Amino acid sequence: MIKNLFTYIILFLTAISADAAQTKLTMTAPSAVEVGQQFRLSFTINEKGSNLILPPGIENNFDVLMGPSTSQSFSMSTINGKTTQEATYGYTYILRAKKEGTFELRPASIRVDGNVFESNSLKIQVVTAQSRPAQPQSGGSAGNSQQNQGSTQNIDLGSDNLFVRVEMSKRNAYKGEQIIATVKLYVNPNIPIAGFDEVNLPTYEGFYTQDVDIPQQVNFEREVYDNKIYQVGILKKTILFPQQNGKITIEPFNMSLLVQQQVKQRSFFDDFFNSFRTVRASITSKQVTVNVKNLPTAPANFMGGVGNFNIASTISSEDVTTNDAVTLKVTINGTGNIRLIKTPELELPTDFEVYDPKTTDNVRATGNGVSGSKTIEYLFQPRFEGDYTIPSIPFTYFNPANGRYETKSTQPYTLRVVKGEGDQTATVVGGRRKQDVQLLGQDVRFIKQGDPGLKIAGSTFFGTPLFYLLYLGSALAFVILFFVYRKKAKENANLALVRNKKANKVAKRRLKAAAGFMKQNNNEAFHESILKAFEGYLSDKLGIPTADLNRERAISELEKASVKKETIDDYQSVVEQCEYARYAPSGGSEARSELYGKAEKTMGLMEKQIKR
Amino acid sequence: MTTRMKGYLKTIAVLLIVISNLSGFAQEDNIQLWEKANAFYTTEEYQQAAGLYEEILATGYESSKLYFNLGNAYYKMGDINMALLNFERAKVLDPNNKDIDFNLQLANQFVVTSIEPLPLPFFLRWRTNVINMYSSDTWSYISIAAFVIFLILTGLFIFSKIVSVRRISFLAGIIIVIFSGFTFSFASKQKKKIVERNSAIVFCPRVTVKSSPSQTGTDLFLIYEGLKVEITDSVNTWKEIKLADGNEGWLPDSCIVKI
Repeated sequence: MIKNLFTYIILFLTAISADAAQTKLTMTAPSAVEVGQQFRLSFTINEKGSNLILPPGIENNFDVLMGPSTSQSFSMSTINGKTTQEATYGYTYILRAKKEGTFELRPASIRVDGNVFESNSLKIQVVTAQSRPAQPQSGGSAGNSQQNQGSTQNIDLGSDNLFVRVEMSKRNAYKGEQIIATVKLYVNPNIPIAGFDEVNLPTYEGFYTQDVDIPQQVNFEREVYDNKIYQVGILKKTILFPQQNGKITIEPFNMSLLVQQQVKQRSFFDDFFNSFRTVRASITSKQVTVNVKNLPTAPANFMGGVGNFNIASTISSEDVTTNDAVTLKVTINGTGNIRLIKTPELELPTDFEVYDPKTTDNVRATGNGVSGSKTIEYLFQPRFEGDYTIPSIPFTYFNPANGRYETKSTQPYTLRVVKGEGDQTATVVGGRRKQDVQLLGQDVRFIKQGDPGLKIAGSTFFGTPLFYLLYLGSALAFVILFFVYRKKAKENANLALVRNKKANKVAKRRLKAAAGFMKQNNNEAFHESILKAFEGYLSDKLGIPTADLNRERAISELEKASVKKETIDDYQSVVEQCEYARYAPSGGSEARSELYGKAEKTMGLMEKQIKR
Repeated sequence: MTTRMKGYLKTIAVLLIVISNLSGFAQEDNIQLWEKANAFYTTEEYQQAAGLYEEILATGYESSKLYFNLGNAYYKMGDINMALLNFERAKVLDPNNKDIDFNLQLANQFVVTSIEPLPLPFFLRWRTNVINMYSSDTWSYISIAAFVIFLILTGLFIFSKIVSVRRISFLAGIIIVIFSGFTFSFASKQKKKIVERNSAIVFCPRVTVKSSPSQTGTDLFLIYEGLKVEITDSVNTWKEIKLADGNEGWLPDSCIVKI
């Protein structure tokens, strides 16, 4: 019993939840209609309901011509053994617009199982009744039309009925600001389009462009343009970034469409076989201009970004060893010309090995513009240990919404680099490698041995008192020597005295042997030596060899040398006395002493008187 | 004359003895340390060798050989900066030593910053080469000897009676007195190098040279450890330095060590 109750409750709950989740009343109608034109207002619901109440006030603007006509559809599907059922109930009214204007249809309501559900609301634009496009006449070539199925004719349907235009989201923009350009084809609902023949879509010169993905199939929707209803198809949607200042013109472009055209019936059978033919309609767009304003004077680190951006960064590691590669990842995201943003410069310490930054763009173009992110990876290697600061990267962009430059920055990082183990060879910069090879087998010269020659630090001989004393001492010694020498020279100047002294000296020296013998009382030797002394003296003085020297020669030479007569006489007497005394022993020591004195005096006088 | 001269000679002799005694003082210990350090070096115990060499330096004595050996020990230990510093110090004391030049060049190959020295006019280059031929002391002796020769020649000029002798001694005297003056200035230059020590070795692994003596100065250039720079000015803890290629700038003095 309890088990059954549970089952019921579960079933009940699922039913309720299914109701709550799925029951929905949807109201659909064309968005634009003409005055007096009939159109459908449809409601769909997936539960059978009752008592559908039309939007209140609908009678004021529209005539309800018919309805509701109901329809039902069921579908059942089995997927993986699970069966689902779906039912759709439709209610359709035919309405007619009474007057021009834009009218809002308030929600309609329906009662399902005692609950009231409300529908969505709608806007309907009602325009004045349009003239039918003149069915172009096939003209004289009508007869050929049947035969010329393949080749189509060119016709003009009138620029009101078929035209193409470029819709710009902005006519005034800053340089680099994005503009959404939409190429739209407007077709009068009464003209059946068979297909496109030749499509030359515009080239947007002066813009950086990015296409928005739109369905390959052109979907036509109703739209009111210039108070008329058209079927509008979007052919291309492009996001434009103006790249130059001033007026940029989008040149007209043309395209050809294939239009089905009813051919005038010429016979009854025509109706059966070929009442339509295909013609080509060429259309040309009007030119569109866009006014591009230049950006205000840019600050230094403006990177060319126009739009609205954010910047963030991450670093691979803040504690590294030398030669580790460090990656700083900077992400710029937002909407705008992301692809055109330059890579911000990262100011790293100058001795880092820096590689070119790697940038990746991830950009999506949507109907609202271009958005996405740009990722920049800076890769670098610190070469030396130490603490380094990786500065924040300022990113300046132009925000067209407020017409100002805005700057956002990444955070700065502190990089702590420690010396890597055993990477000595890798650290070598540039030319060192070459030198390392050169260094193989080289070593410093061996240490000095022996006496170290230690001195007190900083002491030098130069500048010491001794140093100067040596100069002073030698100079002083020189001065003293100078004076002594001068004194001597003065004495030399007194010639007589000097000569005398000198003569005596010479005589004494010569007669030294004689003096010795005189003391020994050696008579013969005494006289002999006096004679020898004179002989030697004269030989030296007068330049006569001893062998040629006799008394006569000596006297004549002495006379030639202008020695005084008395001196020569004295000499003669001394020699005679000596020669005599040699063989005849004479007086005593007195006589010898007297002779010695005389000899000495004579020689002294000679020395003085002999002229050179 | 002679008594006075003798008196001077006596003073000089006494002074010489005193100086040689001063330098000989406490040399015993240092010689022992020196031998020990050399022994450590020979057995490739460079750390101990360097320690002992430093100990000798701490006693206030120095010599080019000591700095040379210390530089070698640091080189072997892989401390290129200290090796460079000591080789440069050895070079100051013994400017024309081939071994020092060789080791210095070897150690300089590890210096990252390569500097193209400014080309000097040939006469300045010659002058530097000539000055660096001898140490300050040698130049001093040469200067004194030249001066004495000059005095002798002056004496000859004054007292000689032979004309040719007088002429030659006059010319030679002028030349030799100029020579003495030059050698005096060379000796003074060499001494200045020892006393002023206006060169330094960069010890920071890398240092940015600033345009002014403050941390906020404009970055001028980057230099790396081991580079020899010339100190041209000093403000507080900042030194103005000049590179061999003529670039000048300021860096904190904690980054450099004077040679």
